[in-house]
Amino acid sequence: MEEGRRGIVATVFSTASAVGKTLIAINMAAELVREGYHVCLVDLDLQFGDVANYLHLEAEYSLADAQREAKTNTEGFDVKKFLTVYGYQGWSFYVLPAPFALEEAYNISTPAVQHILQQLQLDFDFVVVDTTSAFSEMNLAVMDMSTIITFLGIVDFIPTIKNMKIGCDTIRSLGYEANKIRIVLNRSNSKTKIDLADVEQLLGEPFYHVLPNAFEPARKSIQTGVPLVYSSTNALSTELRALVERYTNRTSSHESSSSGVSSWFKKIFN
Amino acid sequence: MDYRVILIENNRVMLERLSSVVRGIDGYELDARYQQAGDALGQGKMFQPNLILLDIDVPQNLALIPEFTDAFPGAALLCLSSNWNANNAAQIVKAGAKGYLLKPFTAQEFIEAVHTFGRSGMAASSETLAFFSPKGKSGKTTLVANLALSLARKSGEGVGIIDADLQFGDMAVFFNLSPQSTIVEAVRDIEFLSPITLNSYFLEVPEVDNLRILCGTKKPDYAELVDIEPFEEVVRMAQSLFRYVLIDLPPGFNPVSISAAELSTQTYLVAMIGGGFEIQHMRRAMEIFKAWPDYGKRVKPVFTRVEPCTDEQRQWLSREMDFPVDAILPNEYLLVSAAANNGRMAVDNRSGTVFADNINRLADEIIGRRKMR
Repeated sequence: MEEGRRGIVATVFSTASAVGKTLIAINMAAELVREGYHVCLVDLDLQFGDVANYLHLEAEYSLADAQREAKTNTEGFDVKKFLTVYGYQGWSFYVLPAPFALEEAYNISTPAVQHILQQLQLDFDFVVVDTTSAFSEMNLAVMDMSTIITFLGIVDFIPTIKNMKIGCDTIRSLGYEANKIRIVLNRSNSKTKIDLADVEQLLGEPFYHVLPNAFEPARKSIQTGVPLVYSSTNALSTELRALVERYTNRTSSHESSSSGVSSWFKKIFN
Repeated sequence: MDYRVILIENNRVMLERLSSVVRGIDGYELDARYQQAGDALGQGKMFQPNLILLDIDVPQNLALIPEFTDAFPGAALLCLSSNWNANNAAQIVKAGAKGYLLKPFTAQEFIEAVHTFGRSGMAASSETLAFFSPKGKSGKTTLVANLALSLARKSGEGVGIIDADLQFGDMAVFFNLSPQSTIVEAVRDIEFLSPITLNSYFLEVPEVDNLRILCGTKKPDYAELVDIEPFEEVVRMAQSLFRYVLIDLPPGFNPVSISAAELSTQTYLVAMIGGGFEIQHMRRAMEIFKAWPDYGKRVKPVFTRVEPCTDEQRQWLSREMDFPVDAILPNEYLLVSAAANNGRMAVDNRSGTVFADNINRLADEIIGRRKMR
């Protein structure tokens, strides 16, 4: 394995579908760029990934091409060749899209993905990973490699909350440091009669960050292919920026340091 | 009704064992027992039995099933075997037997077998409907729950739901059930099960006695660790238990969803309209199913949360898909979430709503198709 500094892997995961993983992953990547980091966004929703769709990218290569090359040309493999640049007004980040064909998606192997992510870590400050909503072999391997996991949830109705609870318990059972997992609530003010405090009690910890519902700006962002944090100022883009600032420690809040201590205690006494 | 039973079992020890079980049950009278099927055929009429238990571990007995049904037109014939075999099951039902029971059996298993098969008989051919969605949050579970209920009410025949979304199945929540046994246990135990014992893994739905549900897991097992062969065996056995088997699948193409689609008579592709790339995803999924030579008849696209839910929209979606869209459903989010949140069944059986009308139309179509066969 090469020497050198390895970048941060920031994975966005959830156990309920359609909670906004892709949108959050894109905006996380985009905001990290605004903060001056060198960023690559990887779409691991292999079969029906929407990263390239949301960004209106016409990519030449996908993860499947990268996997093929890594297999046939182990020595000379350069993952950068397979990336597509997304640019907007002087900001840019790199994207490794999901395979174009479903047959290719079905044949992506977990070790290949691990290898590709490791290569990307050597080249980028941040590798942001979008996933599917399942505890698959691949997602588990990627979570193992991740520096930080944004576990995204929404509070709409009971089945979603049941799955969020199951997901939280399962992730905790994997034995990661408590600080590695950040439970983020999306679309917090959407129509629901369920109390957030009740959900937090059920999950056994408060949400690390809460993102407001902004259906219209989100839809517009998908239509125009421009991340929210670049194109508009609204409650959601403001909170997305705030979330990323907390990840990059630009804002050091009491809350996060105290949760660090408590997780340290938890580890000792568990 | 009292049962007058004739038992045919070649093995002497087993004959004694089964006899004592049947004798011990209230309402059952063991009238005669034989080691040879020929004796039963020649002598059994004396007793006017209405239930015949025939050992089919003796291979020749399989061929005698039509003679039994001719000789005893007023009796139900249940076959006994020491192991389950899907091919045999199909064969015996075609030949005229009502069902299949593993021996040795307990009194409870026996009573349940008579109860289950006595009413409608084992299904010789079942309509198996698989529900596939490219991505999660498709409205699929709402569709399956409501359609199953409609099929059960309209057909009066047995309907079974298999929640094969192994990690995050929501069917138990939709029907407000607390499953003790789930699909994971069924797949684990299938080697030792017969349709009767598998039936007990399916939960009853209150007030709908011909609808049963095999629920998903409470904790996410790793989908990859569920073996496909026993899973397929669960589906095949369910096919002999129910006239209609509805399988709710995990999103995307994976071993479970692919094998269930392969076993289905009809595969529904379901997506929820949400202002994203749903139609594109459906088109891509459809391309894969085109590998089936009969995909034109076998694959049925359904869109949910279609507003306005009109025939023009359906036609527009059909043009976008370049394939006829079988059904569209309106936005029922508030209704479903309110019901699920209050621990009621998240199913809507009010007639007159667009949602219920479209579900009922789909059920009529499925029942009609079955009758055509």
